[in-house]
Amino acid sequence: MPLPQDALWYKDAVVYQVHVRAFYDSNADGRGDFRGLAQKLDYLQDLGINTIWLMPFFPSPLRDDGYDIADYHSVHPSYGVLEDFKAFLDGAHQRGIRVIIEMVLNHTSDQHPWFQESRSSHDNPKRDWYVWSDTDTRYRGTRIIFLDTELSNWAWDPVSKQYYWHRFFSHQPDLNYDNPAVRETMWGVMKFWLDMGVDGFRLDAVPYLVEREGTNCENLPETHVIIQDFRRRLDEEYPGRMLLAEANQWPADLRPYFGGGNEFHMAFHFPLMPRMFMGLKLEDRKPITEILQQTPAIPENCQWCLFLRNHDELTLEMVTDIERDYMYDEYAKDRSMRLNLGIRRRLAPLLDNDRRRIELMNGMLMSLPGTPIVYYGDEIGMGDNVNLGDRNGVRTPMQWDGGWNGGFSTADPESLYSPLMLNPVYGYQAVNVQSQKRFDHSLLSWMKRLIRIRKSLAVFGRGSIEFLYPANHRVLAYVRQYGKDAILVVNNLSSSAQAVELDLRHYKGNILIEMFGRNIFPRIGDLPYLLTLGPYQFYWFRLRKI
Amino acid sequence: MPEETILNDDFLRELMNVGEVDLLVGVPTYNDARTVGQVVQAIRTGLLKYFPRQRAAIINADGGSKDNTQELVRAASISDMHHADNLYALRTLHCISTRYTGTPSSGTALHTIMAASDLLRANACAVISPDSTSITPEWIQTLLQPVVNDVNDWVTPVYRRHKFEGLLIRNLLYPMNRAVYSSRVREPYPTDFAFSGRFASHVAGLDTWSEEAARVGAEMYLTIAAITGKFRIVQTYLGPKSRGEGAPADLVAAMRRSVGTLFWSLDSTFNIWSADLDPEPVVTIGPEHELDPEPLRFNRKRLHDMFARGVGELEPVLRSILSHSTLCQVQQVASSPEGELGYTDELWAHTVYEFAAAYHKSVISRDHIVQALAPLYRGRTYTFLAENRDNSPEALESNVEALCLAFERSKPYLLEMWNGRK
Repeated sequence: MPLPQDALWYKDAVVYQVHVRAFYDSNADGRGDFRGLAQKLDYLQDLGINTIWLMPFFPSPLRDDGYDIADYHSVHPSYGVLEDFKAFLDGAHQRGIRVIIEMVLNHTSDQHPWFQESRSSHDNPKRDWYVWSDTDTRYRGTRIIFLDTELSNWAWDPVSKQYYWHRFFSHQPDLNYDNPAVRETMWGVMKFWLDMGVDGFRLDAVPYLVEREGTNCENLPETHVIIQDFRRRLDEEYPGRMLLAEANQWPADLRPYFGGGNEFHMAFHFPLMPRMFMGLKLEDRKPITEILQQTPAIPENCQWCLFLRNHDELTLEMVTDIERDYMYDEYAKDRSMRLNLGIRRRLAPLLDNDRRRIELMNGMLMSLPGTPIVYYGDEIGMGDNVNLGDRNGVRTPMQWDGGWNGGFSTADPESLYSPLMLNPVYGYQAVNVQSQKRFDHSLLSWMKRLIRIRKSLAVFGRGSIEFLYPANHRVLAYVRQYGKDAILVVNNLSSSAQAVELDLRHYKGNILIEMFGRNIFPRIGDLPYLLTLGPYQFYWFRLRKI
Repeated sequence: MPEETILNDDFLRELMNVGEVDLLVGVPTYNDARTVGQVVQAIRTGLLKYFPRQRAAIINADGGSKDNTQELVRAASISDMHHADNLYALRTLHCISTRYTGTPSSGTALHTIMAASDLLRANACAVISPDSTSITPEWIQTLLQPVVNDVNDWVTPVYRRHKFEGLLIRNLLYPMNRAVYSSRVREPYPTDFAFSGRFASHVAGLDTWSEEAARVGAEMYLTIAAITGKFRIVQTYLGPKSRGEGAPADLVAAMRRSVGTLFWSLDSTFNIWSADLDPEPVVTIGPEHELDPEPLRFNRKRLHDMFARGVGELEPVLRSILSHSTLCQVQQVASSPEGELGYTDELWAHTVYEFAAAYHKSVISRDHIVQALAPLYRGRTYTFLAENRDNSPEALESNVEALCLAFERSKPYLLEMWNGRK
């Protein structure tokens, strides 16, 4: 299946985020690999997603799940070899699935040869590839991100007797982007993968590329210059490829990363995600509409990326103190569920495994303006294991069936990279792909339908949004419009049945066609349009003037 | 024939939009634009500050204001489009207003608020008078917390009052209510109070709302309903209440709303109060009473004249209400020159009880009975002011206590009068 040639393909994408290690083990070594992932491409095609986002798969000491890269030009031996990656990439493209890979620009592993050279002596040619200092007092205005583990953004290097700068773990020294050689080298890394055929990069931790005294060392103008340079080269040499920003910032601070349409194509909307959970728990649309009101317009060729859960904790950096306390109390009563400024849980456990709430949240994910990302395993309602350290509890093996190792691997269970989920609620015998494939009403089957409908109209990915603000605050309603297509989305955030009157006079004369059952609802007239919704129910209506 | 409803369709639609709430604050109004904006802002701040996570609503029951009272209440809403200026709101806060049918009355307003509270299944509900301009956001916490945290059902206020404010309460309502119902509620006729959802459900469903006395004196009626219904009652200290607030200009109207309702309640609760009731202590959060020693100015000569003239002019009426002995004593007091007038505790208790019994027996029009008590109350007030002119708050309180004991001692006398043996 040839890939569509639309340059704005990422607006219509439904992205599936997956870690190679966690998906399928083809060689019985207890870790997933590219050959395994390639074998499961049919599953992903059947699910309906059209883009895969791969988490880091490069050689790495794996002290931060691969975000500590030791070699940018290869594949971690556990996952196979470059040829395996190429085969996987070709297989995906043949199925009409694009592939985005992770690119960690900001830092490397301290095991990377560049850092080893850099620390080896003060006059090494790569000394200036990292940020060194005689004191740990520079850039004092910079916050510490991993509050639970790091005391400072500086770490002492006993080898070269200087401090080095790191915004994340101390084993992840930041590259020095003031050095043109670093910028050139990193573009070379990107070219390496673009030449192989990858469709885009998720650029990790972009706000932190440059440091300046007297600032908070985030979102600096110099960082934007670097991004613009990468984008210009990308457009010139690889048209149709895409850059996605990982920048956990407020929408107004994120806006500059789109520039005038000449920086990132897409950026994650971090503040929206916790507010979707908050709105659901409060049974009040206010947190959601409020953050979307604060979200600035972005250039026509740009797009927000929306997600419910990912490989990290549910970050609460972009909420107020009152909101954070509320989220902790409601979603992470058990303190072991908390990590840094967030909650390390998967979607289904966060929502008490309530099918209605899982459907509602996915319904909003797929219908709010942006490109949705589904985190692997959430399509079947996988659980988490907070007893595993760091964020490993949400990175357990994919559960394919109820057999040996949940169908993930034929290795001995003891040799798996992570324990399987075993409990009676979320364990692989209860929650797995094979059993859900058998039933039309399983979560997996429902997700397939949802994705199919989402992909059936460009309005979901490209349309404008107009909120309706009915007097019933438990109901979140909006109209998406793109060209002649218009859809009405009505979400009941409440655990009880609700009646709502919608002011649809602007659409008078249209009939409503419910998109899941294709049933016709009454024509819109002059009076407020009355709808009743069951607990956590949502409707997608197509507006048709017939 | 559809059953009569207190909630009109528009209001019902608004309630549907509000949905189930944890907390509700009701504000009964009638042409209160001058003060209601400030009051509602304080309520809103109190809700956001002290109950940020709870689902809350402010409901205004209006008697048909011609000023923009209702708009001022609605303007305090917090929604997607309207934000609070200085405080962050986690949730939507609906501030809705309804115009109830009929003439303006606190009873209809409170019935509307209670029906709404019942319908929205509020766990706790407070009612704030629209002219309580001394309200602070802390009032909301102080009133609602005893219901939310300690599962009380009826919360009455204790204010820091000026020395000679609340005279009707101190000289009649508190002592008689305490003696008759054995419950030491300091403000049985409150304008700011709170109650539980359980209590709202109980009261909203009572038939007595259709009766005039319940409608005009709803606050008094609710206190009595809480006491006689064995609901958990607590008093809570709110702090100062602005001078003159809530004090009706018309004494007779105030007595109709309070004393009239207290007398009226005795009929339906006879089986309760006539029994040998154990005194029910009422827990007070904060000081039980607090007085500002600076006295208010009163025209005592005018009080004396009105008392003496009233006793003289109303003699035929008083003769049908009071016993011969009591009437003679009252006339004797009324004939005393100013400065020597002394309406004793015992005589006052007997007077009030004889009026209550006469009300029960409807010896004349019940409304006339309450009206006829007004001049005698002025005589009693004169005595109270004279006695306590130079008293410290403690001494004044001790005199109030003595009066209460006189009412308690005289309760058998009320029963005798009631049963017609005297």
